[in-house]
Amino acid sequence: MNSVTRNIQAVFSRYKVLALLLSIVLIWTFFGYFSQQAFGNDDGLYFRPSDWPGFEPWSGVFLSARNFSNLLRQMAITGMLATGMVFVIIAGEIDLSVGSLLGLLGGLAAVLDVTYHVPLALNFAIVLVAGAVVGLINGYWVAYLRVPSFIVGLAGMLLFRGILEGVTHSTTISIESAIFIQFGQAYLPQWVGWILGLALCVLIASIGYRGRLNRQRYQLPSAPVWQDSTKLFLVVCVVVGFVYALNTYQGIPLPVLLMLAIAGFFTFVARNTVFGRRIYAVGSNLEATRLSGVNTQRVKMVLFGLMGLMCALAGLVNTARQATGSPSAGNLGELDAIASCFIGGTSMRGGSGTVVGAMVGALIMASLNNGMDMLGVDSYWQKIVKGMILLLAVWVDVASGSNER
Amino acid sequence: MVQVSCIANGQGVEVAAPLLEMRGIIKEFSGVKALDGIDLLVHAGECVGLCGENGAGKSTLMKVLSAVYPHGTWGGKILWEGQELTAHNVRETEATGIVILHQELMLVPHLSVAENIFLGNEITSFGGVLNQAAMYQRSAALMAELGIPEVNVAMPVSHYGGGHQQLIEIAKALNKKARLLILDEPTSSLSGKEIEVLLGIIRMLKSKGVACVLISHKLDEIAAVCDTISIIRDGTHVATRPMGELSVEQIIAMMVGREIQTLFPREAHEIGEVVFEARHVICQDIDNPARRRVDDVSFQVRKGEILGVAGLVGAGRTEMAMALFGCYPGHSVATVLIEGKEVAVHSPSDAVAAGLCMVPEDRKRHGIVPLMGVGYNITMASQRKFSRAGVFNMPAEMHAISQWIQRLHIKTATPVLPIQSLSGGNQQKAVIGKMLVPQPRVLILDEPTRGVDIGAKQEIYKLMMELAGQGVAIIMISSELPEVLGVSDRVLVMAEGRLTGDFVNEGLTQETVMAAAVGKTMAQAA
Repeated sequence: MNSVTRNIQAVFSRYKVLALLLSIVLIWTFFGYFSQQAFGNDDGLYFRPSDWPGFEPWSGVFLSARNFSNLLRQMAITGMLATGMVFVIIAGEIDLSVGSLLGLLGGLAAVLDVTYHVPLALNFAIVLVAGAVVGLINGYWVAYLRVPSFIVGLAGMLLFRGILEGVTHSTTISIESAIFIQFGQAYLPQWVGWILGLALCVLIASIGYRGRLNRQRYQLPSAPVWQDSTKLFLVVCVVVGFVYALNTYQGIPLPVLLMLAIAGFFTFVARNTVFGRRIYAVGSNLEATRLSGVNTQRVKMVLFGLMGLMCALAGLVNTARQATGSPSAGNLGELDAIASCFIGGTSMRGGSGTVVGAMVGALIMASLNNGMDMLGVDSYWQKIVKGMILLLAVWVDVASGSNER
Repeated sequence: MVQVSCIANGQGVEVAAPLLEMRGIIKEFSGVKALDGIDLLVHAGECVGLCGENGAGKSTLMKVLSAVYPHGTWGGKILWEGQELTAHNVRETEATGIVILHQELMLVPHLSVAENIFLGNEITSFGGVLNQAAMYQRSAALMAELGIPEVNVAMPVSHYGGGHQQLIEIAKALNKKARLLILDEPTSSLSGKEIEVLLGIIRMLKSKGVACVLISHKLDEIAAVCDTISIIRDGTHVATRPMGELSVEQIIAMMVGREIQTLFPREAHEIGEVVFEARHVICQDIDNPARRRVDDVSFQVRKGEILGVAGLVGAGRTEMAMALFGCYPGHSVATVLIEGKEVAVHSPSDAVAAGLCMVPEDRKRHGIVPLMGVGYNITMASQRKFSRAGVFNMPAEMHAISQWIQRLHIKTATPVLPIQSLSGGNQQKAVIGKMLVPQPRVLILDEPTRGVDIGAKQEIYKLMMELAGQGVAIIMISSELPEVLGVSDRVLVMAEGRLTGDFVNEGLTQETVMAAAVGKTMAQAA
């Protein structure tokens, strides 16, 4: 009886993610239906769906494997930013400079490639280090010099964009290195996708098994075997479905793989590491955390360094994907990332939120962008709709009382 | 019938009838009586001193009077010039002429003196436009009346120091046509000279027929201006006498007089050599660096010793603890020696690393991380213990957590339940537990049983005895005298930032401690 109530409670605590997944299903159904209607009309305004490679006659164009792949590729950049941003927000801060920093670092990569012909590996290393360093400097301003993160972000937003425009002379720079471009546009061969999927399943199973052994060693109660097996089975289904769907088109896109790896790693950081737990503690009660002997300033600074690193990765992917370094790259990227976190249930007052939630939030944002593009919705309407959805999502969160203290 | 005739012929009666009469005031907080039938009489032009220990109910009584607790939430009667007062909010009592000045100043620092004085009572001309000239004129007149014509009413309040700000508060009250002024610890943040000015103003107001209720820990101030003294203890009225009739000793005896219950499981334990020494602790006030919240305090604690630190609110005990733990928000100086070696403590992490832990006074603000699980709160100060290369060994941590939860008798459904959903007592036990996991050699407990039920209190005392038995040196700051006398081996007393007493707790009485706490120096007490 007691365990049943506890299980129900556990489901309710994950209720947020369930609600988000439900809204994704709704959005996809909506766009799936209407995109089929739109493309079903033979009015000459659009390509006929059957002209598209990978078209499946049984579904709307939105719900095709090709579009699924596209959607995830579009989401990759926002997703990377959101994984970093969710930590920043959990710690009770905000970073408004990420869009500009992404553009600057992407531009830097392009300049290094085109003007200085720096070898690709070195180029990437320079950009990643630069990202981390700039992030740490941002963090230093916030944590040690006590400038509110909102202001530091706002200043960085202008500063980085200005430098970018100066460096590129406000022109776009086309990438020369073919391998660089592949970094943003390549797909994994099908067999690699399957092997990775298999490896992931084995990894999850072994982590679960070791966890059980460990819990037994310390005489802690474990969930019943059937429960863990069911979970594992569901995970395997999702992984197989995911790889299958993407392989139906061209395979797993490299940026998507990168994003998923980052999200997985950050989830681990949030749950299993000292640093991760301190992020939550700092956001929930900074003073109490400091009085527990935690160096809260360092936690905050490192946090921003991590955010800078994510900007570097996203910048590289963005430059590679567009094959150019552009002065407007990443414009308003911070807003998509922040919106993803909030839609994904991160508390505005800090202290709670998950990487998975932020990823789902990013998926919702990407689905809206992609779906509305596909339906030919004017860009001004897209902005209006996204703005309203953000407002609504956060209102639902507030009204449900999950942020009350 | 009598009353009707009284009102009819006015004059003669007004002199005799008290301005304010409080009869049998009872106020309960969730079943606990904070006030249990208190009476208070104030006549026009009279100054009544209200005395009592920390938590005796002084502030609660004044909050009842000023309708911070509205009519109906308490029992008893308040008569104002013979008429029953049924105010529901502070605005209504202020309209009657009762104005309360809280211990913390309630001025808006960036607004001008005049704007503060007229805040909420602005003089406006047609259409809500502020009549600045009229307000400035009236404010300047008030400043002159209070004898501080040097104050420029157009300057922001933050331009003036604590003493002047206190007087500006009084001006604000006078502007509301106050006939009864309640001053709650008005001198706690003032310097000696500023106190003199304030007391002079109280005398001046008395001569103009304004009545005052003065709440203060400082008996000399009460003796200087009050005509009558009223003493309360544990929510009951002890005595009301003309000021001259009682000696300081008698007042102190009336204030304490509580029995030490058998709540305290004091056990004999071995006391070893000195493990902790603090030398020359000094804390400057944040707003007023010239003033010292802690003024050159030095002391030692021995292994296995429980050192109680007594004193009245504002004596500087918490500030001292924060300075030792490396977290005093203003400027502080302290030399800390642990086991004879000087330790540089610049932050709590330094302190914890050196084996000095502190459980802070304000549990909600400084103790708990509310959204995090009870267990994770407990391991918060010793995360490195349960991790390798920054990655937690989660089952090992959980194993330790469940052992601590058992040892501390924390009642929680699961170890990962957010700590905010636990009762105060269980939260406190977890916060203390957090500071035990690092295995400190010296433990500072600041008000360890505040807001905690009797059962949890007793468990905390037991835990302290157990720790002392293991050789931990414990410094316990407490405002409850019976608690200090019940568990300490030695008692330090602080008053106004200075050490005024150091007693071995053998045959020590509450009177002795209280005498030191109200500011009698060690030499005088001896």
